[in-house]
Amino acid sequence: MNAVPEETEKIMSCPRCEHTGIEQVAASPVEGVWTVHQCERCLYTWRSTEPARRTSPEHYPPEFRMTRADIDAAPPVPAVPPLVRR
Amino acid sequence: MPFDDLRSFLDALDSHGQLLRITEEVQAEPDLAAAANAAGRIGENAPGLYFDNVAGFTDARVALNTLGSWANHAIAMGMDPLTSTKDQVAEFIRRWDDFPVAPERREDAPWRENSVEGDDINLFDLLPLFRLNDGDAGFYLDKAAVVSRDPDEPEDFDKQNVGIYRMQVKGKRRLGIQPVPVHDVALHLRMAEEQGEDLPIAITLGNDPIITLMASTPLRYDQSEYEMAGAIRQSPYPVATAPLTGFDVPWGSEVVLEGVIEGRKRELEGPFGEFTGHYSGGHSMPVVRIDKVSYRTAPVYESLYLGMPWTEVDYLIGPATCVPMYKQLKADFPEVQAVNAMYTHGLLAIISTKKRYGGFAKAVGVRAMTTPHGLGYVKMVIMVDEDVDPFNLPQVMWALSSKFNAAGDLVQLPNMSVVALDPSSSPAGVSDKVVIDATTPVIPDDRGHFSQPVRDLPETPHWVAKLTRMLAAR
Ligand SMILES: [Zn+2]
Repeated sequence: MNAVPEETEKIMSCPRCEHTGIEQVAASPVEGVWTVHQCERCLYTWRSTEPARRTSPEHYPPEFRMTRADIDAAPPVPAVPPLVRR
Repeated sequence: MPFDDLRSFLDALDSHGQLLRITEEVQAEPDLAAAANAAGRIGENAPGLYFDNVAGFTDARVALNTLGSWANHAIAMGMDPLTSTKDQVAEFIRRWDDFPVAPERREDAPWRENSVEGDDINLFDLLPLFRLNDGDAGFYLDKAAVVSRDPDEPEDFDKQNVGIYRMQVKGKRRLGIQPVPVHDVALHLRMAEEQGEDLPIAITLGNDPIITLMASTPLRYDQSEYEMAGAIRQSPYPVATAPLTGFDVPWGSEVVLEGVIEGRKRELEGPFGEFTGHYSGGHSMPVVRIDKVSYRTAPVYESLYLGMPWTEVDYLIGPATCVPMYKQLKADFPEVQAVNAMYTHGLLAIISTKKRYGGFAKAVGVRAMTTPHGLGYVKMVIMVDEDVDPFNLPQVMWALSSKFNAAGDLVQLPNMSVVALDPSSSPAGVSDKVVIDATTPVIPDDRGHFSQPVRDLPETPHWVAKLTRMLAAR
C-alpha cells in the first residue's frame, strides 16, 4: 500500500454546512503544527487544531449549522441601492 | 504624555502593573479568546494581555483587553488608574469642549517600513488571526479603525470617517464588512454604489487607544474623529497619508490595509458573537478587496473579545456613548446632570435630571431616544432625580424601587427603530421603547407621598471624612 497522507485519504467536509469543497488557506509557519481551511460554499473558516465542536461535522453545534437554503435566504445588510443617473 | 501608538500605550499599562505578559506557549484557539473572555470575569481592574508564544507561529505578538477595565481606560486618558468611572466620564465631557483640535501631519509613519501589494498579499501570513467564539464564521478583525471618505466630497476632511466595523477574513486579501446602516461608512458606500462604483477604504490595525475610543464614539457626520481625538488627548492627533488611497490614517498604526469595498456586491457573512451577548445571524454583506498592505516591522496584532457583557467592548464604548448623549441632552435641557448609557452600547440608559415641572423627566427620556445614537439604540431609559448618581446602581435601584409606580411612570412607545442586532427586536430593527420615570413627581404632578424624604444627616460629611482618615491611618 502506498503511504498516502491521511488528509488526502478522507474527504474533508465543512463542519457547518457539510459541503465537501474545502480549500486550505494557510499552514503554520512552524511546519506541521496546523492548517487553516475554508468552505467554499459558506466560507466557514477553521484551524485544524481547534476543538472538535468547531472542526468536526459530527460535533458541530446544531444551532450554528447552515444549509444551502439558509445561505440563499441570508438578508442583505445593507441592501444594494438602485443606480442613480446624475 | 498622550500615546502616539499602541506600543507606547502597552508600555504605560506595563508600568502601572496593568499588562500581563503571557510567555508560556498557548494555542491560538481557544486560549487567546478564552483568556480575554476571562479578563472580563476577574473583576473591574483586569489587565491588558500580551501573548508572544502562540503554537505554530514564529513571529506572533497579540495584544488583548488593552481597554478592558476602568483602570486601563483611565491610563489611556492619561489619568490616575484609580479614577472613578463617573469622574472619567466627567473628564471626557470636559475635554470634549476643546473640539476641534487640528491634527498634526507626520509623514515618517513607522508602517512605511514594509509593504506588500496585490496577489502577494496573504493576511493569514501577515497577521496571527484567530477565532473568538464557537459560532463565529471564522477569524475576524474587530478592533480596526476603518477610514472612508464621502465620495461626493472626497476633499472634505471633516466628512472623512473613522469607525470600527467588524470584518470577517474571507481570503488571502478578501474581507467581509458589516456597515451598520446608521453608521457613516454605510452612507459613503450607498453614495458609491448609487454611481456603480467601488468605495476606497483604509483599514488600520493596532492603534493608540484614543483613536480606538473616537472610532467608537457616535460623532456627527461632519465631525472629524481626528479633531476630536486631539481634544480628548489634549494634543494634536498625528496622521499620515496612506500611500494607495491618499486617506489620512493614524501615524502610529501597526498595520494599514488599503483597498475597496466592491460596489454592488454582497456575500454571506457571519454569524459573529456580538456586543449584545448574542450571535448576529448570517447576512449577505459587502466585500472588501485589499490591494496594499503597509506594516511596522514585527507588528503587534490587537484584537478584542466580545460576548456576554461585560467584556472589553463595554469599557471601550461605554464612556464614548455617554458623552455625546449627555452633550446633546444638556444643550436642550440644562437640568440634565449625568448620563450613564453604558449598558449594551446604550440599549439601556440611566439619566439624572432636575425637574422643571411635572412630566419633565419623561420628556427628557423621550428626547434621549431621538438623539442620533438614541435612534438606533436607546430602548429603555431610567430617569432618576438629580441627587441619584446614575453610575451608582444601588442608588438607581433605590430610586426604581421607591419612586416608580407603573400606573403613571411608564411611557411605552410602539414600533420604534433599534439596531437590528438587538435580539429582542421584532421584526429585527423594530422594538417598543420605554421610559421608566423613577424621579420624584413635582407640581402639578402630585401623585404619591414624597414630602418626607429621609436625607443624610447634615453632620454625615464630617463623619465620612473622619472615618476615612481613621481607616487610612490604621
Ligand atoms: Zn460550509
